[in-house]
Amino acid sequence: MLKKQSLPKVAAVAAIFVAIILWRPTVLIYGLQAAGLYASIAIPMGLVLGIVHIVNLAHGEIMMVAAYSSYMLCSWLGIDPYISLIPVAIITAIFGFIIYRLTIRQTLKAPELNQLILTFGIAISLTQLANIVFTSQTRKMSFSYVSASMDIGELSFGIYNFVFLVAAIVLAYGLKFFLHKTVAGKAALAVGQNPRGAAIVGIDVDKTYGLIFALACALVGAMGAMFITRSAVFPSVGSPFTMKSFCLIAMAGIGNIPGILGASVLLGVSENFLKAFRATRGWADIVFFVLIISVILGRSIRGKRA
Amino acid sequence: MMLEVKKLEAGYGKLQVLRAVDLNVGRESVGLFGPNGAGKTTLINTIMGIVEARSGDIVLEGKSINKLKTHEIARAGIALVPQERELFPGMSVADNLELGAAFVPRGKAVIKKQLEMVFGLFPILKERYAQLVGTMSGGQQRMVAIGRALMAKPSLLILDEPSLGLQPSIVAEVFERLAILKKEVAILVTEQNVRESLKAIDRGYVMENGAVVLEDSATGLATNPHVISAYLGI
Repeated sequence: MLKKQSLPKVAAVAAIFVAIILWRPTVLIYGLQAAGLYASIAIPMGLVLGIVHIVNLAHGEIMMVAAYSSYMLCSWLGIDPYISLIPVAIITAIFGFIIYRLTIRQTLKAPELNQLILTFGIAISLTQLANIVFTSQTRKMSFSYVSASMDIGELSFGIYNFVFLVAAIVLAYGLKFFLHKTVAGKAALAVGQNPRGAAIVGIDVDKTYGLIFALACALVGAMGAMFITRSAVFPSVGSPFTMKSFCLIAMAGIGNIPGILGASVLLGVSENFLKAFRATRGWADIVFFVLIISVILGRSIRGKRA
Repeated sequence: MMLEVKKLEAGYGKLQVLRAVDLNVGRESVGLFGPNGAGKTTLINTIMGIVEARSGDIVLEGKSINKLKTHEIARAGIALVPQERELFPGMSVADNLELGAAFVPRGKAVIKKQLEMVFGLFPILKERYAQLVGTMSGGQQRMVAIGRALMAKPSLLILDEPSLGLQPSIVAEVFERLAILKKEVAILVTEQNVRESLKAIDRGYVMENGAVVLEDSATGLATNPHVISAYLGI
């Protein structure tokens, strides 16, 4: 809950925010679109990191594998990426399950540093493998629906990228429903909170870890298939998304899946706000680090006071 | 026989803890006593598959469960209330109780009936149904842990030190409930509070240095000079 003393400050920040947005509405529009992309990729990572506490630094690379898989399916079969979404999600789910069984599973009882090093190694391996198979050449597909736009008065803007925002909202609230209203979801929460307690009540802990990891891979795989509709694919395309996803989860608070949406909106709008001015355009990438440091520092200070 | 433990040996690394332990539990309430480090919790953890048995056998209702994993043993009909409770602190009482039954076939089929039984035993859990377990007191959490175990409608309920860390009035309440429960389910309880637990059990074993050194009825144990001097402090 917001403290009464904080209300004027929050109101002032909100008023400045609204004024700037009214002055430059594209900041909000493109900020929300960017937020949708960030959140839709970060939310599956939030499931494995926040719920079952597996640190996966190969998250963005799994998205990259999905993007290439979708690219190949679309090139060979002439289908739309949205049709390839289901087979690609299945492929990445199986791929994720195999990675879990062969590697991550062995590190679950070891300190988290082992998972970090292991998944970092997997990330590098996948990037290099993509380099060998596909070369470093970027691959891009064009789709007419991507250029859909809307006019409001004198303002004209692309609307296609809102599809990622819709996907992020569906993912966040779909996962919230799954985790809190279904037995399988509650089992995942239980395994994340107390693996031994979960085994004692008859939950197959190993299977639950594997299924949640595979589910997260399927979801980021589906996002990878959608990703090729808006961006080019190349071997290192996933890497920045791993880092951004990791930090968005930290900003939202570990385990707070809908919170990732809020953190993404803050990041997307802030980035686009800086991009809106010529003098600050180059700072857009820095805002990400400023925000994450501010949020974590603020949380630490509040924690010390409490 | 509900549970038969035959010549069971177990330990951690090079440390041998259990030495040829023999123990039986029928449709009754059995106590397991002994000082700290006697091997009571190791025995419970070996029965539950948490610690691997080195030799010997564990038989539940005629079937060996020696090679089963913990979740399979739970599904086979043993419910454990561990010393550390092992609850899900970020989840509500309702979710903790539901998860007690959801993965055990015999509990899943009678979820509503078991829930009524648990609420009958611990009415406070009905009042605190939506409360997060992590925000409850130690005594209330112990009730949730027992309730969660009962939700599985187990054939054998194992309680490891149920009175640990509880205030005396709550300890008496827990043992009163156990005395009621023994009519419905076989119970194996390890306890250092021998005086209270003797009121709730039919038979008992005393363990020392990883081996069973004494077996007798509750009345026999209450009058045994060794038990009286070592555990009843008389």
